[in-house]
Amino acid sequence: MSTLIAAPLDMTVRDGFDAEACMNCGFCSATCPLGVPILPRRLFRYVLFGMDDAVRAETETIFSCLLCRSCEQSCPAGVHITENVRLLRGWLLREGR
Amino acid sequence: MSGRNEARTEPRIAVYVCQCGGNIGDYVDTNQVVHAVKDLPGVVVARHAMFTCSDSNQQEMIDDVAREHLDGFVVACCSPKLHTFTFRGVAERAGVNPYRVAQVNIREQCSWTHTDDPTGATSKAMKLVTAGVERARLMKPLHPIEVPTTPRVAVVGGGVAGMRAAIALADVGLEVHLIEKEPELGGHVGKLGAMYPHGTVGTELVHRMLEEIDRRPGIEVHTGAVVSAKSGTFGNYRIAIESVGLRTEVTVGQIVVATGFDSYEPATGEFGYGSPRVVTLPEFRRLLDEAEGPIVRDGRPVRSIAYIYCVGSRCGDRTYCSRYCCSAAVHASLLAAERDPSVRQYHLYRDLRTYGRNEVMFGESRKRGSYYLRFADDDPPLVSIDGERIRLTVHDLLTAGAELALEPDLVVLVTGMVPRANDELIGALKLPVGRDGFLNEIHPKLRPVETVVDGVLIAGACQAPKSSAESVTSGLAAAAQAAAVLRRGVASLDPQVAIVDSGACDGCGECIGSCPFGAIEMTGTGGTVVATIAAAGCKGCGACTPTCPRNAIDLQGYTDAQVRATIAGLLAGRAT
Repeated sequence: MSTLIAAPLDMTVRDGFDAEACMNCGFCSATCPLGVPILPRRLFRYVLFGMDDAVRAETETIFSCLLCRSCEQSCPAGVHITENVRLLRGWLLREGR
Repeated sequence: MSGRNEARTEPRIAVYVCQCGGNIGDYVDTNQVVHAVKDLPGVVVARHAMFTCSDSNQQEMIDDVAREHLDGFVVACCSPKLHTFTFRGVAERAGVNPYRVAQVNIREQCSWTHTDDPTGATSKAMKLVTAGVERARLMKPLHPIEVPTTPRVAVVGGGVAGMRAAIALADVGLEVHLIEKEPELGGHVGKLGAMYPHGTVGTELVHRMLEEIDRRPGIEVHTGAVVSAKSGTFGNYRIAIESVGLRTEVTVGQIVVATGFDSYEPATGEFGYGSPRVVTLPEFRRLLDEAEGPIVRDGRPVRSIAYIYCVGSRCGDRTYCSRYCCSAAVHASLLAAERDPSVRQYHLYRDLRTYGRNEVMFGESRKRGSYYLRFADDDPPLVSIDGERIRLTVHDLLTAGAELALEPDLVVLVTGMVPRANDELIGALKLPVGRDGFLNEIHPKLRPVETVVDGVLIAGACQAPKSSAESVTSGLAAAAQAAAVLRRGVASLDPQVAIVDSGACDGCGECIGSCPFGAIEMTGTGGTVVATIAAAGCKGCGACTPTCPRNAIDLQGYTDAQVRATIAGLLAGRAT
């Protein structure tokens, strides 16, 4: 069953969510001290492709992030990964159910 | 047989056996090789060296010439492909005729091939070097053939590569015939809007080039014209230019072929092609170039676009990457974003290659509403058209292989370049065509604009897919190569060509058909007809020599006597 790509989810803060620059290199996942089960890059693609159910299914992971920024330190594309995670938490609080 | 007992002055020859570090020395006992040949008639110096091509050894060779009054060298080392010119250069600097150097290949033919058998390798090297000495004893001094050249160039193809080459050639004082099949110059770029990476507008660029051409009286432009025939020899070719039934013949020193490419045309139904909302990249560019404001296609606003990359490239018979299309598509998406910043664009690609500085455009496009989805080589996107609705499904490797669907307003098939059907010209100029259908250079890095046909150069996208900037660069390279030959006024050609003993020739004409270069013709001298070989046309292949029933043809540098002596040397070479 395929998922129809829709407009990106509205993260409310204009231009705040900046995962477009992600080039899928995987540095973020490699440096995550928690070894979060879902790669941030995959999570962000769910957002960009408007896949709201897929994002909701990762609620646990999104709230388990330490916001330690070690991923952000090593991101060669300069994506503000932890800020994006915070925006995602806000979205989940509004749209989670 | 080798004429060893003939009464004549024996030439004085030096033999150098190279160890090539360990490449030869680890398997071939070079000392034994030296011993095997040092007492052969004519050999006055024989020794081995760690690297015969080294500066110090080259100097020793030069010193040997002065001390021993040498007439020639035998160098037993690597392939003549590598060092023929090195050792000819040494000979020249020492005052020895460069065509009295015989190179014997004991690396590729002995040490590298017989690593399991050093004794056998050594024995084979002895035979080969003995044969080399026998050949060298019969070497005669030869001198390059000097041919005056015509200071005029034919440039076939009036796209950006050809136009730029013509301008450059005119600027160095050569006359140019610029020949274009279409009614106008300009080619593909002449119909384009802004091009990557600097946003140069194609139509404006071509307009500027046309002005430059107008300003140069040395450039004669032939539009609606083709080259239908070529004859003559290096530096002085006769070509026929045909235009609406009119045939003109001109003599040119060099020919630059810059005939460009065709865009790949998808089959109907290929990724939905045929639907008004499925277009190729060139069609999309026209859509972008011809209007302003929000994009409209087929009377409907376009709010989302899906690009499918590598359409027609890297599949089936076309195994090559078309190189320019990734960057061109990414650039087109930036132009689309400029027209309508709210348009959403999805790029479905196999491998994205926005090489060099084009990477900047790739980054920019991601910031301006372009999303990239990657599909596997064997799992391309599926396009289904249901009335008004176009639906694409793709397994996106960047979203963990999830099956995603898109319903875009427009699908752009990112089509590449295919070789242009040009059989008439390819036949007339005997152009070398590669497996991919594009024209072949001699070496992509070392001799990038020369072809195996002497004096015929290639430039632009007729050679391989290229961007406009790369085409212009190669047009300039071809111009530089043509000018380097023609500005000297004379060309020096290899004297190792076939010659006819006109006393022995009975004019039977057997040889004419054997020459692949059409260099032999029958000429009358004092009532008799004999074969004459144009030295500038002969490539020294030797195909004609065995066809002569009277043995009247000999190949200089490889005469029948030398070949017999070589064979005798191989048979006589002492093996341990």
